[in-house]
Amino acid sequence: MKRRDFLKKTAFATAGAFVAPYILPSGRLFAATGARRVNHVVFCLYAGGVRNLESVHMNDGNLMTNILSGNFPVSSDIAGAMESLPSSPLSQPLQTFGTLFKEFRYYNGPTGHYNGHTVALTGNYVEVDLNIREHPRNPTVFEYYRKHNSPQQSAMNCWWVANTLGPYPALNYSQSGDYGPAYGANFISPTSLISPQVYDVLGNPRLFPSAEEAAVSNIQEFVNGIFNHSYTDGSAGVVNTASDSALLQQFITELYTKAQNTSFLNSWGAGTAMNNDMYNILFANEIIKTFKPELLVVNMQDVDICHFKYTEYANNLRKADYAVAQLWNTIQQTPGMANDTVLIVAPEHGRNFYANTSVDVYGRRALDHTAPTDPNFNGDPNLQIAREIFCLVVGPSNVVVQGQVINTIMGESTEIVPAIANMLGFDNAIPGGKIKDWTSCQLKAAFL
Amino acid sequence: MKIILKIFISIFLISAFACIKEKKYQYDVNPVSVGQQGGEKNNRKSTTEFISIAYADLFGTNIPQSKLVNLSVAYSSFGDLKVIEERIIKNFLNDSNVVVPPLPSINGDTALFIVNSYKKFYNREPNEFEKHYWKEFIRTHFTITPATIYYAMMTSDEYRFY
Repeated sequence: MKRRDFLKKTAFATAGAFVAPYILPSGRLFAATGARRVNHVVFCLYAGGVRNLESVHMNDGNLMTNILSGNFPVSSDIAGAMESLPSSPLSQPLQTFGTLFKEFRYYNGPTGHYNGHTVALTGNYVEVDLNIREHPRNPTVFEYYRKHNSPQQSAMNCWWVANTLGPYPALNYSQSGDYGPAYGANFISPTSLISPQVYDVLGNPRLFPSAEEAAVSNIQEFVNGIFNHSYTDGSAGVVNTASDSALLQQFITELYTKAQNTSFLNSWGAGTAMNNDMYNILFANEIIKTFKPELLVVNMQDVDICHFKYTEYANNLRKADYAVAQLWNTIQQTPGMANDTVLIVAPEHGRNFYANTSVDVYGRRALDHTAPTDPNFNGDPNLQIAREIFCLVVGPSNVVVQGQVINTIMGESTEIVPAIANMLGFDNAIPGGKIKDWTSCQLKAAFL
Repeated sequence: MKIILKIFISIFLISAFACIKEKKYQYDVNPVSVGQQGGEKNNRKSTTEFISIAYADLFGTNIPQSKLVNLSVAYSSFGDLKVIEERIIKNFLNDSNVVVPPLPSINGDTALFIVNSYKKFYNREPNEFEKHYWKEFIRTHFTITPATIYYAMMTSDEYRFY
């Protein structure tokens, strides 16, 4: 062998050894760069506009006893309106399993629900020109996750579970040229999909024998091979492989079957107290149990009743709190996710300090969420309250600082995407400038 | 003198007939544009168009407004539209009012069944290659039902374009 050939081959072999992914004893492939802290992240948007005064500052007592420590009774004038909920499935309030940032911030842009969701899922603030009929301009955390993992992940590992339709289905991928639907999340709005209305049109499919299904595949291969356009080139949304599609069909069928069973719908024992938020988490738990996703984002928004009825807002805060406890309980009871999952809980934005003109039957005045975009808050510091939120990070004790409460102003909404990226080991693979650099994120204080 | 005259006449005749330009005949065919079947379909059906057309193709009537609304909600509720569309078609095909040809229509006049299916779903006739494929396919899959063929064609790429 010539000396030059020898050197060339040696160089290739050495480079290959560095580039090739490592196979860990667990059998999972990891890229040479980007060590994971955990293999699963669940992000719960405790959304709909939650004011710190009612959540972490407990002005009306502890309305979130499943999440927050503290035995402060609910204010007597509204206590009678609080529906009965089952006892917590957790041994201790959730905050004891991690770090609570009491003064987290949503610093910029309009305090609208879709704006707040977009910020939380893209890691970038948005301006007033956000178009709710379009996918976000900046890539979502789902796209970063699927594109920058090595090996790349399928949509089965990555879910966006929304409590409602409207603009929210569009948050599973962006219109960013380098990303888009090829890297999007599987989106589901369970309370819409698994409803009597949709069951009417999707709940009773014709079942083909396996031989017929195979024939369908053969025919489609032939007819699609002749046609010169593909439906799955981005216009069909997120696309799963044929085998994954079959699993999804089966999953939807199973959900329809379960939804007809009252014992499933009441599996938490909450009875008539179950609201849309709670059902959304109930179905998200089914996704967790079935697919064990590496990244799942789920939201709740029933507290937004606060535009008209403050007391129901307080009641729904309690229900959302209970649902989060059930979410964490399911994670910890799911083999493969237990002790290997970080859960992040945060509202998308807060609510106003000043009430609007609506007064409920308990004499409580309702609250909107309209923080001015003026950095001086129109000269009134109270107007910034709609930008004040909390953030809770819980997870394994070797990853997340346990029982820590941070009372000073620390962290902001745009740090959640970098945190997820760091936990799942792909933050360094995201091109510079796309999101806030993890090293400069104050949310780091939650992690060991 | 006569000799000279003969020579002139000969030269004239030779020059008049011996150098006639040979006529060139050019044979050609009329221009024919070659394209793929269905190649002129460049527009993807909207979700509403897909639902309405599929319903009309299978039930022979316009979709009721309430069903259209329910299907629109179904469409929005799941991110993978292909999964939802496959389920929509399977539900249509399981409806007792669906109009699907009986099994003998395949095994009887297979070619006619295929031509009619292509006209119904793809708005065109199958070419000879496609006819051959289907004839062979149905011959080797003699238990296949019209509903299965309808399902395969309605969930194909060409059915989603016009």
